[in-house]
Amino acid sequence: MDPRFHPGDSVRVLERNQPGHVRTPLYVRGKVGVIERIVGSFPNPETLAYGQTGLPYKMLYRVNFEQKLLWHDYDGKPEDSLEIEIYEHWLEPA
Amino acid sequence: MRGPHDLGGLPGGPIEPAVHEHEPTHWEKRIEAMMVLLFDTKRRLGRVDESRRMQEALGEDYHKYPYYERRLQAVSRLMLEKGVFSQEELEAKQREVRARLEAERSGS
Amino acid sequence: MSDQHHDLVHATHTHDGKPIQNDDRPPLEAETLETAIRELLIEKGVISSDDIRRAIETMDDRGEALGGKIVARAWVDEDFRQRLLSEGDAAVRDFGIDMRPTELCVVENTDEVHNMVVCTLCSCYPRPILGLPPVWYKRRDYRARAVREPRAILAEFGTTIPERKQVRVHDSNADLRYLVLPQRPAGTDDWSEEQLAELVTRDSMIGVADVRGPTD
Repeated sequence: MDPRFHPGDSVRVLERNQPGHVRTPLYVRGKVGVIERIVGSFPNPETLAYGQTGLPYKMLYRVNFEQKLLWHDYDGKPEDSLEIEIYEHWLEPA
Repeated sequence: MRGPHDLGGLPGGPIEPAVHEHEPTHWEKRIEAMMVLLFDTKRRLGRVDESRRMQEALGEDYHKYPYYERRLQAVSRLMLEKGVFSQEELEAKQREVRARLEAERSGS
Repeated sequence: MSDQHHDLVHATHTHDGKPIQNDDRPPLEAETLETAIRELLIEKGVISSDDIRRAIETMDDRGEALGGKIVARAWVDEDFRQRLLSEGDAAVRDFGIDMRPTELCVVENTDEVHNMVVCTLCSCYPRPILGLPPVWYKRRDYRARAVREPRAILAEFGTTIPERKQVRVHDSNADLRYLVLPQRPAGTDDWSEEQLAELVTRDSMIGVADVRGPTD
């Protein structure tokens, strides 16, 4: 499986409202970040949660977000950031 | 829609780490041990992902249960869903165990 | 009401720092359910009492002491440090640790960056190294606030982050588990690996505290 994104790419997390078990928290949906690194391909937790195989595997990335883009009222330093793992099917180019 | 577990960014109270700290109890460790064993590569009676789904499905009750009780509820429901034991078996066993523990606790 | 309202504050340590068994009991209904499930699983031959005992022993071998050994090794052995940062799983295998099915991601504190770990969706934690997570780590307040106001939380832990440093929060939400490699404290240049390991605290490996040295 070839990764669709690479370190340094700007990505947006989909603003999708998906029922069931997902590992993409609400607070990053619709937000723009940068691919920090490709973690690898992993079974899909959205189907593992229902006792299925997790196939097909999904590419997983660590995505870095500037805190001030996540929270309008962020009061730390402008350089402060947050990193989280996002599966490829939750990302689009930004 | 926000699930009961999806807490990132919500307001909250002070952390008070010194207050919310204790050595895990033997009872808590037994629950963790059961989960490790049931989900291991030998038994494969579930996945951590399934246990999370079960906890999220508690809805409003998610925050009513203390942490280990919530995990226990998830294991219980997961084993019922998978047919490892039946609701009737569980209820009968609970009656038996409750009577025993009550006697034990009143005697101590 | 707090989601941990039944938890009792009974820190029970012997003089050598090892936990002794904490026999505090939960409410009757909770103990009933746990005991009932366990006995059914044993009667059906799914697990045995021995399996449970061994799993608990394995859990008891993990914790601050094991994490401290890894951190101290990274402080004194540059090759190991590099390996720990680039291929964490393989590096901790030297200590008999198996991270599967998760992968270990070690993040290093420097003069420029302070790292801090949370799991907003549940309570993901590097259990194969640090054992069971602390109570506050699993509570709603930490999970909710850590991603949005990390500096306020660090202050509540008594940790002051210099103005010049970036704070980087890691939300442990999927297949990686995070261990913070804290900075080696000043005044420990001639300390042995064993001495250094003793300094390392659990909280410093979660990133809510720094490691204090002899001059702090």
